[in-house]
Amino acid sequence: MKKLEKWSEQIGKLFEKGKPLHPFYALFDALDTFLLTPKEVTGRGCHIRDAVDMKRTMITVMIALFPPLLVGLWNIGYQHFLSMGMTVSLWEAFFFGFLKWLPLVITVYVSGLTVEIIFAQRRGHQVAEGFFVTGFLIPMILPPDIPLWIVALATIFAVIFGKEVFGGTGYNFLNPALLARAFIFFAYPTVISGDQVWIAEKADSYSGATPLAEAMIGNIAQLPSIAELCIGNIPGSIGETSKIAILIGALLLVFTRVANLKIMLSVIAGGLTMGFIFNLIGTLPIMEIPAYQQLLMGGFLFGTVYMATDPVTGPHTSQGKILYGFLIGIFAILIRVANKGYPEGMMLAILLMNIFAPLIDYCVIQLNIRKRLRRNHA
Amino acid sequence: MQSKITIKRGINIRLAGKAEMTLRSFESDFHAIMPTDFLFLSPKLLIKEGDSVKIGTPLFCDKEQESIRLVAPVSGTITEIRRGEKRRIEAIIIQNNKLYEAEEIQISAEPNREEIVDTLLRSGLWPMIRRRPFDSIANPQEKPRDIFISGFDSAPLAPDFRFIIQDKQKEFQKGLSIIRQLTEGKIYLSLPYGEDYSIFENIEHIELRYIKGPHPAGNIGTQIHHIAPIKKGEGVWHLDPWQVTRIGHLFLHQQIEFTKRIPLCGSEIQKPQYLEIRDGASIGKVIRETIRQEHVRIISGNVLTGQKITSEGFVGFYDRQVTVIAEGGQRELLGWLLPGINKWSFSHTFLSFLFPKKEYKPNTSLQGGRRTLMMNDVYDHVFPFDILPVELYKACRIKDAALMEKLGLYEITPEDVALCELICPSKIEWQQVIREGLEQLYKER
Repeated sequence: MKKLEKWSEQIGKLFEKGKPLHPFYALFDALDTFLLTPKEVTGRGCHIRDAVDMKRTMITVMIALFPPLLVGLWNIGYQHFLSMGMTVSLWEAFFFGFLKWLPLVITVYVSGLTVEIIFAQRRGHQVAEGFFVTGFLIPMILPPDIPLWIVALATIFAVIFGKEVFGGTGYNFLNPALLARAFIFFAYPTVISGDQVWIAEKADSYSGATPLAEAMIGNIAQLPSIAELCIGNIPGSIGETSKIAILIGALLLVFTRVANLKIMLSVIAGGLTMGFIFNLIGTLPIMEIPAYQQLLMGGFLFGTVYMATDPVTGPHTSQGKILYGFLIGIFAILIRVANKGYPEGMMLAILLMNIFAPLIDYCVIQLNIRKRLRRNHA
Repeated sequence: MQSKITIKRGINIRLAGKAEMTLRSFESDFHAIMPTDFLFLSPKLLIKEGDSVKIGTPLFCDKEQESIRLVAPVSGTITEIRRGEKRRIEAIIIQNNKLYEAEEIQISAEPNREEIVDTLLRSGLWPMIRRRPFDSIANPQEKPRDIFISGFDSAPLAPDFRFIIQDKQKEFQKGLSIIRQLTEGKIYLSLPYGEDYSIFENIEHIELRYIKGPHPAGNIGTQIHHIAPIKKGEGVWHLDPWQVTRIGHLFLHQQIEFTKRIPLCGSEIQKPQYLEIRDGASIGKVIRETIRQEHVRIISGNVLTGQKITSEGFVGFYDRQVTVIAEGGQRELLGWLLPGINKWSFSHTFLSFLFPKKEYKPNTSLQGGRRTLMMNDVYDHVFPFDILPVELYKACRIKDAALMEKLGLYEITPEDVALCELICPSKIEWQQVIREGLEQLYKER
C-alpha cells in the first residue's frame, strides 16, 4: 500500500508541468485515481465528506447494467443457434454472445476514451467517469453484428459533438449513448433496422424480425408471449430484451439513490397513457396491443431505467423531471405506433425530450420565482 | 397538544465523540477577537498593541456603523494585532492577566427600547444579535419584523442547550423579557418535537414552535423559512439561548458576561465534555491534554460549517462547539470498488447502509475528485427549502445577482447548504459558492 503510494508519487513527478511527460498528465491522473483514492483533504466549508464520488456513482450504474447485459449475451448465442435450428447449453450460448460483444465494447472504449483523454489534457481537466457508463451503454443498444468501424465512428461523433464541444461531461444536453445510436440510425440505417440485423450470423431462412416489427406489419399472432418478453429470449438490441433483468438493475439504482424513481415511474405512466389512448382508437393492429404489453416491447424499459434517468441531459429541477418522464413515455409510444418507417420510439423520444429539458426547467424556475414574488407582494 | 412543523428533507450523521454532560472550566492565557467572524464588517481599531484593557473595553468598531463595537472579553494587555493579506486585520490578541477587572456599566432599572439598545451596544453584547438576510450584525436603527431563537442545535455533536442553561433559567427569562422589547413582532422559540424541553416552556410572551425532523431542523434559516419566511426587504434577527442568558445576566446582575459553555467533542478527543471558557479563548492546552493522536483537524464549530484552526487558534465568536477529528489524506487502493462498511454515505452505494445506527469516526479526506455538478437530484433530499438548490448554485456561479435574488438567495446563508456540500458526489464547495453569491448580492443591494 505505502509502496504503491510512494511509487505513484515518484512517477507523478514526471508528469508535472514543465516535465517531458506533461502532455500525458490527464492519462496519468486517470490511472492514478483509478488505483488509489485521491489524497486531497477538505479545506474551507464542510470538514467531512460523503464517501460517494462520481467514480462510485458510475460504477454503481455499471453494476446495475450487468443483469441485462448477462442475459443479453446469452440471448445473442441463443438466437443464433435457434435460427440454425440447434439447441446448445447455456454456457455455449453465453460464450458465443460474449465473443460478439467483446470487440464491440473494446472498440467503443478505445475510440471514446482516446477522445476524452485528449480533451481532458487540452482543457487541464481530470478525465470524467461519465464515459465509462456511456461506453458500456453503447454496445447494449446496438445489434450484435454491427460493423466495428461504424461503432467507432459513432462513438467518436457522440463524444465530440454530443459532449466535448459543449464543455465536457456535465455540460452535454444530449444523451451521448443515444446520440451514437441515432448517428448510426440516420447515417447507416441498413445496419440497425429491418429484419436481418438482430440475430448474429442468422440462418437466411429464419425470420429475425423483432416483436415490434411483427406488430408493425400486423402479425399480432406472431408476437412472443408475455413470459418471453419478460425473460428476453427474443431478437433485439443486446441489452433491451430481458425486462426482468432490467427491473433488477432498476431496483439497484433506486435503492442506492443513484437514479431517480420519479422519472422511471412517470415514463411508465406516460407510456401507459399513450398505449391506452391507442387502445381506444384501435384502427391499426399495433394500436390494439394492450398498453402494458407495449411497455414490455422494444427498448422502452431499458430507456426508462438507464437513459431517461440521466441527470445531466434531463431537466435539473425535480418537478421538471416528472413532466419530462411523462412526455418521454407519451412520445415513445406515439413514435413507435405512428411512425411506419421505424418501429421503435424510445431513442427518438428521449433525444427529443433532452432538447426540451431546458425549456421545462425554465418553466419550473419561472413558477418558483413567481410564487416567491407573490409572497413578497402579499 | 404540541402542534408541529415537520421537516422531511435532511440527515442526521452519527459521529463518535459526543460530549458528556460534565462542565470543566478553563482559564486561557490568550484570547482573541477576530473581525473576520463578522460578515460584512470593516473594522476600525480603537486600541493599539501594548494597551491594557478591561472586560468591556472596546477593541474595534464597524466603520459604517460606529456604535457597533466589539469589546475585550478579559482584562489584560493587547499583545498582537495580527494582520493577513492586504493588511486585513485577522485577530486582536489579548494576554489574559486573570484579574477579570471590568468596565463599569450603568443600567436603568426599567429600561425602554432605546436604553436597551444603547446598553447592549455599550456592553459589546450587541454583535451577538444577527440579522437575516445575510447574517450580518443587526442594525441598531432597524426594528426587526420578528426575532427567532432556536432552542436546539441539530448539527453533528452539537451542544445541548438544556444542559448549558440549566442553572441560568432566571437569566434566560430576563433575557427574553429584554429582547421582547426590541421588536413589535413576535419572538419565536423553536424546540424539537417530542423531546422534554420543559425548561424552555411556560415562558410568557413568546411563540413556541415544535420542529420535527433531521438536521438542518435546528438551523435558524430552516426554522425561519418554515415559520415565517423572509420577504424581500424584510429583516429578522436571531440569537441562541446562551446569548439570551448573557443579555439576561447583564440586566439582572449589572455585569457583562463573556463566558460560554461549549462541548469539546469529536472522535479524537479522549474525554469529550463541556468547557466553560470566555469568548475567543485559545484552548490548545486542553486539546493537547486529551487528544488521541497528533494528526488531527481542530474545528472551531461543527464539522459541517466550522473553521479550521491550529492548536494555538482561538474559538470563533459565534461558534458553539470545538470538534476534533482525524486529518485525512490517506490513499486507498481501488476505493471506488471496496464494499465500504466503515464509510459514511448518504447514498446507499456502500455497504455501510446495513448499519444505520453505527457511529462514525470521520476524517477530512475529500473522498473523490472534483467534478462538474452532475447528480442534480440528490441535493433535494437534504435541502428543506422551497428553493431550487441547483438553480441557485448556477445563478451564483454565473454571478447573476438579479437571478440569485429572484431564486431566494436572501433566505439562506452558507450553513443552509452545508448538507448539500456534505453529500455532493462532485465534491463542490457549495458553502463557498453561496457565500460569494451573498457577498455580491450584499454589495449590489
